[in-house]
Amino acid sequence: MPPLLKLLLIRLGLGLLTLFLVSVVVFVATQALPGDAAKAILGKDSADTVRYEALRKELRLDRPILEQYTSWLGGVARGDLGNSLVGGGAKVTALLGARIVNSTTLVLLAALFSIPISIVIGALSAIWRDSKFDNVVNIGNLSLAALPEFVIGIVLVLLFATTVFQWLPSVSNVDSLTPLRNQMLLFVLPVMTLVLAVIPYVSRMLRASTVEVLESEYVMMARLKGLSESRVLWHHALPNAIVPTIQVIAINIAWLAGGIVTVEYLFGFPGIGTALVDAVANRDMPVVQALVLLIAAVYVVLNLIADILTILISPRLRTGLR
Amino acid sequence: MSTRDGESQFEFLNKPVTRREVLKGAAVVGAGAAFGPLIAACGGSSDSSSSSASPAAGAPTMGGHLRVAAGQGSAKEDLDAHATAYTMQSMDMRFNIYDSLLEYSPEGVQGMALAESLEPNADGTQYTVKLKSGLVFHDGSPVNADAVVYSFERIMDPKNPGLAAQQLRGLAPGGTKKIDDLTVTFELEAANAIFPESLATYSAAIVPVGYDPKGGNGIVGTGPFMLASPGDFQPGVQCVLQKNPDYWREGGGPYVDTLSIIEFADTTAQMNALLGGAVDYVNMIPGAQRTIATGAGNMLLEAKTGSWIPFTMNCDVKPFSDVRVRQAFRLIVDRPQMMAQGADGLQWLGNDMYGPFDPGYPADLPQRAQDLEQAKSLLKQAGYADLSVKLVTSTSVSNNAPSAATVFAQQAKGAGVTVKVDNVTGDVFWGDQYLSWPFAMDNWGTRGYLAQTGMGTMPGVLYDETHWSKTNEKYMSLVKEAYTTVDDTMRNELISEAATIEYNEGAYIIYAFDNQVDAHSAKVMGMVADYSGLGSCASNARYRLAYFG
Repeated sequence: MPPLLKLLLIRLGLGLLTLFLVSVVVFVATQALPGDAAKAILGKDSADTVRYEALRKELRLDRPILEQYTSWLGGVARGDLGNSLVGGGAKVTALLGARIVNSTTLVLLAALFSIPISIVIGALSAIWRDSKFDNVVNIGNLSLAALPEFVIGIVLVLLFATTVFQWLPSVSNVDSLTPLRNQMLLFVLPVMTLVLAVIPYVSRMLRASTVEVLESEYVMMARLKGLSESRVLWHHALPNAIVPTIQVIAINIAWLAGGIVTVEYLFGFPGIGTALVDAVANRDMPVVQALVLLIAAVYVVLNLIADILTILISPRLRTGLR
Repeated sequence: MSTRDGESQFEFLNKPVTRREVLKGAAVVGAGAAFGPLIAACGGSSDSSSSSASPAAGAPTMGGHLRVAAGQGSAKEDLDAHATAYTMQSMDMRFNIYDSLLEYSPEGVQGMALAESLEPNADGTQYTVKLKSGLVFHDGSPVNADAVVYSFERIMDPKNPGLAAQQLRGLAPGGTKKIDDLTVTFELEAANAIFPESLATYSAAIVPVGYDPKGGNGIVGTGPFMLASPGDFQPGVQCVLQKNPDYWREGGGPYVDTLSIIEFADTTAQMNALLGGAVDYVNMIPGAQRTIATGAGNMLLEAKTGSWIPFTMNCDVKPFSDVRVRQAFRLIVDRPQMMAQGADGLQWLGNDMYGPFDPGYPADLPQRAQDLEQAKSLLKQAGYADLSVKLVTSTSVSNNAPSAATVFAQQAKGAGVTVKVDNVTGDVFWGDQYLSWPFAMDNWGTRGYLAQTGMGTMPGVLYDETHWSKTNEKYMSLVKEAYTTVDDTMRNELISEAATIEYNEGAYIIYAFDNQVDAHSAKVMGMVADYSGLGSCASNARYRLAYFG
């Protein structure tokens, strides 16, 4: 078996174990929260014990905790994520499908723009370090990194949607009944917000590692050989500089997948973040589990991809595998 | 229900909005049986910069798509006419899809909706309803006695009672009898003088025979808008409704072709949607956003409601079992100061009694004001000269509740009382200790006096949080008598007498009632402010009156 494939299989196995442990932790945590789905559904009406008990029975919350978990896990093993406790018993997949598509589109678009832009900005400011360009980029990056993403979002809305110009939609209520490609305009501001939130981290990381590499002896050697500066940069320096950046990119995309609730709130964007908050408040265990597992899986997969890319790019690690 | 802007970034984890709305709306009945002109004057609480243009000038324009930005939704929502409306938003949707037999006007005056007339017998044990003739449901089936009987049997189903079952006091399964095709008699097991009020609630909506919201004929009512396809309703996201071309009300709209109620988790996003032109109408904005809305050329619609956020004193425990402590606590409150801090001016003065629009409300009682000396002397008489209490509050009660609690703690120092404010999450507040907190807060919607006592005051009712009324025989007998008194004047006198006892000895501190503001584009005309405080200023299906000018 090729060593890379072996590594891949081992890591995938560990990933599955991680997901299992996550599901146990989430289950225990939902049990530890005060109240249950029946109470969340009835609200003030749960003072009516007859209705409360009847609903608990209907939702099968009266069964032993371990049995609830194993029956859920059995369903997952068969590819059935179960039914929502509060959403009128709708299938979790049906309930979340459109939101997952929305969030995935948002994350992919944000990644598509933020990664190349950060790489170019980072590389350029490393080459022209201490120039005016570098200084401006540094100040811009630091200011953006210092601002929470919802502040960036509010400023963008003020600029492009409400107060200054009215060029773009101010809210992004993606309508699941209309094809996504007809609603791309709705993604512009949320994507812009996320891109601006991601760029500082990635480009600063890349700048730092590029600066380090550009001062290394093999780059000096390449220059002494008389190679053009662009060849030195793109063929000798960047492939090495990008290795630590890959990990930062992976973490940032994973963050986009799981942690953009504030952006969803700001733009009224129907994504998985608001669904997760709603599900936690409703103690809707199957929905919480589905979303947390999805987010955890994104982390596992992106980290795996980042590690494999790192191995493939750096010759030392590549040969070390054999 | 007013502001959300005092809220920190992560407060949504406590779900303040939904839980608060549940609370307020869980069992909303209209207010008093027949409101006097008292509230007619209240509709216009707005200044010159506010309030919608009236439809008086010429005929309303037909057509268009009205997009309403509503508050936070939830996956819990459904459109079943008789189920609990878990969010204000799903209540709004139902207002537009269904009608009940009776209804309240925007000024809170009881009137007929699907019913043509309502006749009680002498002792309030039997009510006969005659239906308007020729009415049809969205699917073309007739609105007749069979539909009414089916609707009320569905509500009273012992296995799965509807939300209105509690309020339709005296009605039992089988108590709804068909007399002829358009006449139905409700035979009550016990006299209930406010039965008509319960018939006017949104959760006593009339549905066709065989109604099955989860399948079958689906979401069918008689309202001004209808659900064209089940997919047009996405819980927690939006609800798109189409105009009902056969709406029964002469000259009552609907004028727009399509109505979208779009749910927003965040009030800033709601307002941005209006400012950016993505919606035409925004429900229930925080007071601080009023100037933002008008500054951009939008209009405001303001409503004075009977919603209230009381301090609740539990008479089962010391020190509140002593009437002098309760009286002292009421004298501690500087009401204008409490209203000024944190409510953005979206409140009006309360006098420790609920049901301000009830014709029996004793409006002539002197307005209670702060009197720290008197409070101190009462506490001293009661033997609590050096009192220390815990006040439990939560943003899930109301966003203003914690700030009101803090203001109370400050004011209490003046009377030598130490108040420790405990701001808990919604889970804890509505958890096992709800209804037994010694000193806490709550949030109630607009109701008539008797309906409110049946929800929160009388012994044994679901939300008896003060446990006060059982200590007062006189009070209990007055309320019970009022329940069975069909004569309006006599009943109002009894209500007035009962409310006066509560004013003197009761266990609520009611410092204010809520006002409510909606904002809308200047193009939207015809909206009328509503007294109920439910969902929007223009509640009770009054989007049917909206048109584009």
